Amino acid sequence: MRKRAVYASILSSAAVLAVGWQIGTMGTAQTSVVAATTASDPATTPPSTSGSNGATAEAPSDTTTTDTPTTPPDTTTTAPATAATDGTYTGASASTRFGNVQVQITVAGGQLTEVTALQLTDSDGKSVQISNRAAPVLREEALTAQSAAIQTVSGATYTSEAYITSLQSALDQAGL
Amino acid sequence: MKLQTRAPRTTAPILIPTPPRASVPRRLRTQDALIITCWTSVALAVTLYLSSGGAATVTDIPSAFSALGIVTGLVGTNLILIMLILAARIPLIDRTVGQDVAIAFHRQLGKPALYLILGHAVLLTVGYALTDGSNVVAETLSLFNTPDLPLAYLGLGLLLAVVVSSVVAVQRHLSYEVWHVIHLLSYAAVLVAVPHQLSAGAVLAEGTVQRIYWIALYVLAFGAIGIYRFVLPSVSSLRHGLRVTAVTTIAPGVVSISLSGRHLARFTGAGGQYAVWRFWTGATWWHAHPLSFSAAPNTATLRITVRDLGAGSRSLAGVRPGTRVSFEGPYGIFTDRVRSSPYLAVMAAGIGITPVRALLEHSPLHPGEATILLRGSDQNQTYLWDEMGALAHRSGSTIYSMMGHRPRGLDTWMSAQALSSGVTLTSVFPHLRQSDLYVCGPQTWTDAVVRDARHAGLRPQQIHVERFDW
Repeated sequence: MRKRAVYASILSSAAVLAVGWQIGTMGTAQTSVVAATTASDPATTPPSTSGSNGATAEAPSDTTTTDTPTTPPDTTTTAPATAATDGTYTGASASTRFGNVQVQITVAGGQLTEVTALQLTDSDGKSVQISNRAAPVLREEALTAQSAAIQTVSGATYTSEAYITSLQSALDQAGL
Repeated sequence: MKLQTRAPRTTAPILIPTPPRASVPRRLRTQDALIITCWTSVALAVTLYLSSGGAATVTDIPSAFSALGIVTGLVGTNLILIMLILAARIPLIDRTVGQDVAIAFHRQLGKPALYLILGHAVLLTVGYALTDGSNVVAETLSLFNTPDLPLAYLGLGLLLAVVVSSVVAVQRHLSYEVWHVIHLLSYAAVLVAVPHQLSAGAVLAEGTVQRIYWIALYVLAFGAIGIYRFVLPSVSSLRHGLRVTAVTTIAPGVVSISLSGRHLARFTGAGGQYAVWRFWTGATWWHAHPLSFSAAPNTATLRITVRDLGAGSRSLAGVRPGTRVSFEGPYGIFTDRVRSSPYLAVMAAGIGITPVRALLEHSPLHPGEATILLRGSDQNQTYLWDEMGALAHRSGSTIYSMMGHRPRGLDTWMSAQALSSGVTLTSVFPHLRQSDLYVCGPQTWTDAVVRDARHAGLRPQQIHVERFDW
């Protein structure tokens, strides 16, 4: 009886772990979509025709606490826009439990050329540290991707999510 | 030869086969189910992390440290919640494995849980320090400035105190009461760690299934403790309103306490069980005593017998009739209910006679079904033997006594004299292989009996032991 219990325990634990792994790997693919949808801020812009996939109306306005770190989604998530106007656009401020995040973008020649962080998570020393580390990485990713569909920085999930939210809002204003 | 027959052997034991006891296989199956649930819950803790996509974040050494830190925290906390559930005296667990086995398992989990939680703190600090390119000290300071983290550190400190005090208490350097008060801190330790689990981690973030499951685990553990350790015992203590009716000294340092109260017909204790008693006098109310019934509970009286094993139980001798008594229980599976075999073999030594006596009184026995061996080192340990003799006579059971000290330097349960005259378990219990063996006595003595019984070919489910060392 004892032995049977041990074998059954091993089996059921293995099954549970396998399911967890499966959900985890599937989940990251899904969350990247979720992150992309929540990123477009309904409070500031009407849903743009390209890129967003209809779910924006229900998306929470600014407290994006989506926990799952995202992997880079298929590059097709955001279709390249055609009607981008040059200029600077300020994204909506996204609040997190560690402080607010707001970014400004510069569009030149229909391209995203610069992302400046106006405010980053700064509720305490740890947050400032994390922000300072994450910001350059996120900026680089955004410039490369030419969209807000970028990977979050590990260990800076809150900052990254909020950064993406604000960035998307600015991109929407620019029509990018 | 000191081996005496106390009651005449029944000449022709007519044994009506005991009907197969369905509860035993079911008990073993439930036991398996509990073990499986236990380990699966540990796997589930890891799965919480995996399913939240945690594995994908491991890209380099710092993130591996952090990931491992999160997993150790989840598993460690899961173990602590299992420990709480094991200590909650849940009827299902008591019926299935017995509360003593549950507590033994609870103890085994203590150190691993502590190491995992310490590992959680260390690994995450190192992981963050590596990620930030700072050092461990600076990182610890900055963690202290993170919301909810100071509370978590407090929890860690409390947990350390609880485990260290338990280890020390086991080595008998700490009185039971001090240990018990420190142990109550473990509830606080587990609770103050909750905020940081819910706020700092991404695994249990708001709106996730993981968070709901985790909170449910906490509700289950603390709910079980609240209901089975506090609410139900208070309710039944109030309902029965027990009071001491008599305190009788039956041997040097051994007293029998009789209790009476209301609605005793609805008292559910069986012979062989024990309860945790509290006597409400100024000198004794703060000490809870786990004591077996020394007579099967009936509608008029409950009786317990206690030997002075420490200052606490010594003061019980001074309890006056009329004293209010509250109790938790009854608990234990040293009862007729877990029988699996047609014959009954019973061994008791010293104060271990109390549950054995109640068990025997409560068991419906055919003549010749039971054989009893009473063991004492000297004349002072023969208390309740007369009652055992009467019970054996009434049920047509065979009863032996073995008197005398164990031989020095030999690991045996027998007296020197019995050993030299070639007595064995099988010579005392001719039907041993077809018997349920019930053993109660001092730990080393019990261990020696169980070892011999296993050697004689008894299966574990035929051996029923009541422990006394807690």
